[in-house]
Amino acid sequence: MDLWAHIPQLLTSGVTLGAIYALVALGFVTIIRASQIINFAQGEFVMLGGVVTFYLLKGLNLPYPLAALVATGIVITVGFLLYISVIYPLRKAPTLIVLISTLGASIFLSNTSSLLFGTLPKALPPFSGERPLTIGGVSIVPQNLWVLGTTVLLLIFLYLLSHRTLSGKAMEASSTDPLGADLLGISRTLMVFLAFGLSAGIGAVAGILVTPIFFTSYNSGTILGLKGFIAAVLGGWGKNTGAILGGFVLGVVESMSLAFIPSGYKDGVAFAILLCILYFRPKGILGSPFVDSRRW
Amino acid sequence: MKGKKSIAVLASFLILICVAWATPAFVAEKSPYKIGVNLELTGPWAEVTKTVRMAMELEKDKINSAGGINGHPLELIYEDNGFDLSRAAANMTKFTRDKEIIAVVGPFEDNLQATTRALAEREKITNIIICPSNPMVRGLKQKWAFNIAQSDIIVSQKLVDLSLARKYKKVLVFHAAHPLAQSLAEYYKRFGEAKGMKVLIAKETHRPTDIDMTPQLVKLKPIIEQEKVDAFYAATAGPPGPILCKNLRTLGVKIPILGTHAFGFHFIIALGGEAMEGVEFGAGKPVVPYQLDENDPVRPIITDFDKRMKARYDMGIDQIAGHAHDAMALIYDALKRVQGKVTRANFRDAMENTKGLKSCHGIYNYSPSDHDGLSKKDMVFIRIEGGKFKRVKFPGLE
Repeated sequence: MDLWAHIPQLLTSGVTLGAIYALVALGFVTIIRASQIINFAQGEFVMLGGVVTFYLLKGLNLPYPLAALVATGIVITVGFLLYISVIYPLRKAPTLIVLISTLGASIFLSNTSSLLFGTLPKALPPFSGERPLTIGGVSIVPQNLWVLGTTVLLLIFLYLLSHRTLSGKAMEASSTDPLGADLLGISRTLMVFLAFGLSAGIGAVAGILVTPIFFTSYNSGTILGLKGFIAAVLGGWGKNTGAILGGFVLGVVESMSLAFIPSGYKDGVAFAILLCILYFRPKGILGSPFVDSRRW
Repeated sequence: MKGKKSIAVLASFLILICVAWATPAFVAEKSPYKIGVNLELTGPWAEVTKTVRMAMELEKDKINSAGGINGHPLELIYEDNGFDLSRAAANMTKFTRDKEIIAVVGPFEDNLQATTRALAEREKITNIIICPSNPMVRGLKQKWAFNIAQSDIIVSQKLVDLSLARKYKKVLVFHAAHPLAQSLAEYYKRFGEAKGMKVLIAKETHRPTDIDMTPQLVKLKPIIEQEKVDAFYAATAGPPGPILCKNLRTLGVKIPILGTHAFGFHFIIALGGEAMEGVEFGAGKPVVPYQLDENDPVRPIITDFDKRMKARYDMGIDQIAGHAHDAMALIYDALKRVQGKVTRANFRDAMENTKGLKSCHGIYNYSPSDHDGLSKKDMVFIRIEGGKFKRVKFPGLE
């Protein structure tokens, strides 16, 4: 069979998958850049974005854009609450304890969602029709383009935030040099608080974008969070561009691997890549500001 | 003063004890027959098992308000196994240790069933399985386990009938990577090829957790085109069904899609949307309560059950609710036929002697060599049209 004929279609599929991983990874990185905390509840923000929008749309009959907006607002609030109730009380605890507590928060959020919104998977209608576009023999669903476009927009937004605004710079400063930030009068608590809101917002947007393509149920946050985490490590821990690159690399490799190996091993590929990266280039593809200075 | 107080306390205690003693005398009721229910009340199946629980409660109340079984009320004791193997086993053990429990219904998920079946066999207690089960376990010809859902064999036979009626000569099967789906694919191939069809089973598989099936389908698309396949059989259950229908249509594959009986749920249509149009499969009768033939022996049972479900819970029935109804009907029927004192052993014997019991999913017949109950006749052909399930009939076939 002609393997190469599949490549363009597999590539398209991989790029979409990659964009989703990249969005989740961006959420991880946003928090890391402000506080060195790994927030394992990141995947739950994605799940909540999809599930809450579905509820507002189908349960309360709000118009789609409004439902999406309100859902994003709700998830951002959840992000803030997560910080206030879990992270802030543990601000003096070792990182490991904070990490475990975010895992706990993740279980709490997914189970709460199952109680409030049920356990069956949910699908949102696509933003602009279901008719696939065919370009040179490759079919693309319009929703995939929405995902890609939003990923690029978010990246630009985050770039502008961290390079052009004072609060963005302050956010980064509080992570790279906590003491220096303190001396300059930056409130680190406030910065991390804002980072949690921002990261929840990114997660919610990701959730709303992917629910029309893949179905979201109360437990889909775990695997998405894990893949996003791998993407963030892969691209370069703590870099926005690294997260995006890592996401795309992971998605494309996962999808392309199917052309060569049986589909049963698909999920293993992601973890195999992660292991290889950790062995041979622990800094990730683009290098990491944190890993460099601290351990290697 | 102190002495008086303690006397008062003592007296009130005595009164309390007397009252407690006397209570049973006022409720002159025969002891209830207890049935254990071991379900995934939390976890991914929580919403589905909620339906099971509602339907079982509805039937229990119906039986009890009609006087129970010779005056003995029926009592259901629920234990949540949380989709967890060890908890399912622990619940089963707990039920077997309680000597008053006559039989256990559930669990739901394949691998949990395997464990409770083994426990049922060892502890000698009837285990009623309400969901299609792993063929490897089901094939063991167990003495104490009874399956009430349609087996993979009759589902495959029914689908072969459908394929023949539609004159599909060549069908490609894309199955999930778990034993039940695999056996559906293999039985379909075996029965289909016996009837002169050509069945190709794809080397690619998918997992129940896969969120995008495009990569696998991209590899199957050239096969569909080169081999001129007439239909595509998605041997799967749950979300992968609608996902792969969507992915297949996005890739521009237009051939008809065949599904399994697990496609017969409204949430599947809600997930797949337009991509589900035209999908056909064989399923249990509760999928289309009001489209059954007027002279169908189980039609009145299904419509009555549907009306009662709507009156009490404001929701229509589906196949799962039907299974729950049938579990209760089978238990009720078997208990009524037990001669003398009801024990686990003679309940099992009565259960095995069930003959021609009409219930939601069809007519149940058990025998020492057949613990599957239903037959091919108890299924109907369904087509998804306009976002709804529509029954299709073919002359000569049910």
